[in-house]
Amino acid sequence: MTLGGWIFMILSWSCIIVLIVFSYSKILSSESNKDK
Amino acid sequence: MKSREKWATRIGIVLAMSANAVGLGNFLRFPVQCAGNGGGAFMIPYFIAFVFLGIPLMWIEWGIGRFGGKYGHGTTPGMFHYLWKHPMAKYLGAIGIVIPFALVLYYTYIVSWTLGYSVFSFTGKYFAVESYEGMVHFLSAYQGKEINQHFNGLGTAYLFFFITLGLNVWILSRGISKGIELLAKISVPLIILFGIVLVIRVCMIGTPDPAYPDRNVMNGFGFIWNPDFSILTDSKVWLAATGQIFFTLSVGFGAIQTYASYLTKKDDVVLSGLGTSSTNAFAEVVLGGSIAIPVTVAFFGLQQTQEIAASGSFDLGFFAMPLIFQKFPLGQLFGTLWFFLLFLAGLTSSVAMAQPLMAFLQEEFKMKREKAALMIGVLILFLVQPIILFLKYGFLNEMDFWIGTLGLVVFAVIEVVLFFWVFGAKNAWKELLQGADIKVPRFFYLIMKYITPFYLMILLAVWFVQDGISVLSMKGVPEENYPYIWFARFLLTGILISMVLLVRIAWQKKHPTREDMAR
Repeated sequence: MTLGGWIFMILSWSCIIVLIVFSYSKILSSESNKDK
Repeated sequence: MKSREKWATRIGIVLAMSANAVGLGNFLRFPVQCAGNGGGAFMIPYFIAFVFLGIPLMWIEWGIGRFGGKYGHGTTPGMFHYLWKHPMAKYLGAIGIVIPFALVLYYTYIVSWTLGYSVFSFTGKYFAVESYEGMVHFLSAYQGKEINQHFNGLGTAYLFFFITLGLNVWILSRGISKGIELLAKISVPLIILFGIVLVIRVCMIGTPDPAYPDRNVMNGFGFIWNPDFSILTDSKVWLAATGQIFFTLSVGFGAIQTYASYLTKKDDVVLSGLGTSSTNAFAEVVLGGSIAIPVTVAFFGLQQTQEIAASGSFDLGFFAMPLIFQKFPLGQLFGTLWFFLLFLAGLTSSVAMAQPLMAFLQEEFKMKREKAALMIGVLILFLVQPIILFLKYGFLNEMDFWIGTLGLVVFAVIEVVLFFWVFGAKNAWKELLQGADIKVPRFFYLIMKYITPFYLMILLAVWFVQDGISVLSMKGVPEENYPYIWFARFLLTGILISMVLLVRIAWQKKHPTREDMAR
């Protein structure tokens, strides 16, 4: 795999993982706030 | 108004929506599209389409669904009736039940193949088939297209179809929280777990045959990710990325609206929609992109993988992968995992496709849940017969083009125009932001109003010119297939007319307007 390939793979994965962590942390915290 | 079913938990609805979105396409279609359209460079139009088309459409469908739920409607005839004060609105909404129902007819059958192959992997049934040609004949005989030493008829295919259909009916009959939500809570973690196990296994393969040092996993990842920027000037690549985003998020067929209708009016749709989209992207880009193509390159080499990818996703999933598992240590186990992962991804999507008709029968015809589920099961069983029996005459492909390709985009255009242009952009924006857990940047207002419908109309126009005209005129179709193609069109038209009539019957009793409800 070329350097460009690595960069695109890591950037794409990072964007998605950041998005997933952001949304699920907010969803879970809002759910636990409702439980309280 | 009779109280409707509700989701038990917030995480449950997000997982159910994600389970609906994650399907066979995430693991089979995405890697083929990415590898064939510029590799890493494909991700540029992919992410642009994700932001300008995917996320806005996801929010619009969640918004329309929650809006309809407020008025006691879980399907688009009722939702459109309240969005647009016009007698035609409810009939346009009928398309939002026809599309998922027609899709579920053949999708359930395809999903049953993955269950069958999961069992064949476990028992090692196809492990004696050592050539690519052999695997083609194996699937062909399973589908009843030919008789050979592997299968002497459709008996096995029917067996797995009955099991898949039975599971669908059982889950639907248990309702929203105890059926669909519970299935999502079990299946989404399992899909991700199986996916991660397979990705780790693929990464450990290295160079399986030292005689061919080029055939290794790193070259496989390179095949998907090495960017070819020159391809970005080709409009086909942009169209492929847009199409992939559209299909993968399962937008344009009424299921998201039905699921969202079981929210309360104070529930958020913005963050939940974003969570759904990101889960789907994870399953597709991180997991889907790291299994089938890299392992195929490692075992078959770049050139043959290119040929397999060019023949389509099914060749990759049902011909190449079973051959590869035979060369794996513990291949039976990993083959079982792979096909069971596909089965779970497909099962959760097929349940979502059947739910709009369930909701319609329950709400508009006051049918009990169990009775509605059973009725849908019988209908599918009856209507799937031509799909099974006439598969070799192109019956399924014809249905898939009109419903699974063009129909989805047509319906998406209708709903975006109705929500943002007829219902009104300001009303739609206010509706979306109600109860939102995150702030939505204002530019999404402009994207949803102008760019998303524009994007969709371009997609629709290009597909119609590129494929629609040749499909309509049956270009390249063997003459002996003509009656079957016409039969497929007749069946689809019949389903559409029946649904319009059902909507008409349902609307003979009074449906109050938005103003009546507000009084």
